[in-house]
Amino acid sequence: MKDFLLGLAFIVAGAIVYVVAQGFPTMPSLQYGPSLFPSLIGGGFMIGGLVLTIGHVGALKGIAHGLTWRPAPEHIRNMLLSLLPALAIVFYILTSEWLGTTVCLASIMFVLMLIRRTSPILAFGVSIVAALVINQVFSHYLLIPLPEGLLSVWG
Amino acid sequence: MDAFLQGLALVFNFQTLLVIAAAAVFGVFVGAVPGLTATMAVALLVPITFYMDPTPAIAAIVTTSAMAIFAGDIPGTYLNIPGTPASAAYVGESHQLARQGRARETLGTNLICSMFGGLFGTLILVFVSPSLAEVALQFSSYEYFWLALLGLSCSIFISIGSKTKAFLSLLVGLLLSTVGLDMMSGAPRFTFGIPDLMAGVNFIPVMIGMFALNELMGFYGSRNEGRQVTAMHKDKVFTQVPRHLRRYWRNLLRGSSIGTLIGALPGAGADIAAWISYAMGKSRSKNRDAYGTGHIEGIVDASSANNSGISGAWVPALVFGIPGDSITAIVIGVLYMKGMNPGPTIFMEGGGLIYALFIVFFIANLIMLPIGYVAIRSAKVFILTPRKILMPIILCFCIVGAFAINNTITDVWIMLITGFGAFILARNDFPMAPAILGLVLGTTLENNFMSSMLKSNGDLLSFFSRPISAGLGIMVILIWLLPLLLRLYRHYRGTSRDHSARTP
Repeated sequence: MKDFLLGLAFIVAGAIVYVVAQGFPTMPSLQYGPSLFPSLIGGGFMIGGLVLTIGHVGALKGIAHGLTWRPAPEHIRNMLLSLLPALAIVFYILTSEWLGTTVCLASIMFVLMLIRRTSPILAFGVSIVAALVINQVFSHYLLIPLPEGLLSVWG
Repeated sequence: MDAFLQGLALVFNFQTLLVIAAAAVFGVFVGAVPGLTATMAVALLVPITFYMDPTPAIAAIVTTSAMAIFAGDIPGTYLNIPGTPASAAYVGESHQLARQGRARETLGTNLICSMFGGLFGTLILVFVSPSLAEVALQFSSYEYFWLALLGLSCSIFISIGSKTKAFLSLLVGLLLSTVGLDMMSGAPRFTFGIPDLMAGVNFIPVMIGMFALNELMGFYGSRNEGRQVTAMHKDKVFTQVPRHLRRYWRNLLRGSSIGTLIGALPGAGADIAAWISYAMGKSRSKNRDAYGTGHIEGIVDASSANNSGISGAWVPALVFGIPGDSITAIVIGVLYMKGMNPGPTIFMEGGGLIYALFIVFFIANLIMLPIGYVAIRSAKVFILTPRKILMPIILCFCIVGAFAINNTITDVWIMLITGFGAFILARNDFPMAPAILGLVLGTTLENNFMSSMLKSNGDLLSFFSRPISAGLGIMVILIWLLPLLLRLYRHYRGTSRDHSARTP
């Protein structure tokens, strides 16, 4: 079922890439322009997606015969948990300017460790030390302008 | 001679040696913790190496990858969980031996075989690549177009599992490579009005996303944390190794040769080298029945193959700029960013850099012996490191590492999006290596195609006008037709067998 849906997604993505590529300017001196490779890739997506979809069309037949695709609650919970690192990155992107890298990273690590049942004291200690070390290495040794945020108040 | 001395000076200085030692420890650690791969180690290392001189930067990558591939055997032996995918082929065999109380003996053999394989691959690299580079000097855009296409084709046909999925994965990488200003017309493609995307998708955040964030998401999506060492014995590390090597020296040589060859093929890395070498060792063994019950023969084959594969992958990477595996794909990205274009000119420019690189390979494989020995003796420390504490720290490294390349938050977004996409694809058995090769080779493929077309006024037949170019072109076409030819051959053999069965 997943492969069937992914195949459909590739067909749609291929169609979009192909249509967008047609809008790229052509070069007067040459019949091949900047649209050639994206168009081929879009076409490839559609063909590959179609092969994948046809190969798993049995999944569709199963649904038609009354079999429904219902993932187990455990499966859904694991899928949601797997999104945690992605959410942590979104949190960093949105708040790092204001909170500063050190505070932001420490909060992310603390929460992620607590979720996997690390003892709060250990999680707190490791998060603070690791955030300070990362900040020190990147901003002082590699001279990366990481946002200081709240900590800039203390200079 | 001057160049060689320059190379020695580039390597034997305090900074480079310190970097090699630190990278070796880092490599052992990442390899020995299940779930952290050698490619992930290199991807995490890149933001730091980015600020180093070329020699220590490459030394760090070479040492880390070689050590991580060996160290992947440690949890494989004790826990039956491969530390890196390259150890997966013989993990069952190693664990069986550990259960018999021969864990350290197995790892000692692994260590020596890994070192031998690595040195064997390095010797091939040293002796073959300069001559290949002389041939490559004759290459023009036509040959490079076919070489890039050959690399991409191999990445599909060598991949394990569905070829359709490998093809789609490759196209994802190629699509990412088209983002940015077009080389010929200067027209922006898929930039969505974001200025940071004008120069193209930055390579390193994509790597971190595909190999680190993807693994992190997999970790949080599973409940597998508790690990207990069931078999912890105190047998001797090296006592039995000479006996095994005397008995299985052919396997050692065969594993190393197969590993180097497979490593040199684009798209196939240490993991595929180990699988193929193990399977070949088994099929040619006199004790075929002993395989799977804790037989050291298969381990000799495969553990020499995965480390020689790591060295072999550098041959096409250095000579043609075509990466042999995901790790060299990252290295090529790093070299480009440092303004050094991999290709035959690296060998011809003189200077000590290429000698420094060869020396680094030897040191990386030799340092494996003492550090590997300590790692085997203290295996418990590595394999019981709690991942619930380690993974959040790695995530933070990923975020800051992606940001550090260009000091822009756009790269963090790129890491997030590609990591998320890679997670979905990898969960559905899409291989990631073709996507990386697509990203690295996409620009080479397109630029060489376009410049060839400009030279020949759009005549497609010009791709077959030069002898080497025509040869490469025929090779690519044969690779594409291979599945069809194989099917026809099987069909023909099947019908002829049926026919002969019917004739009295």
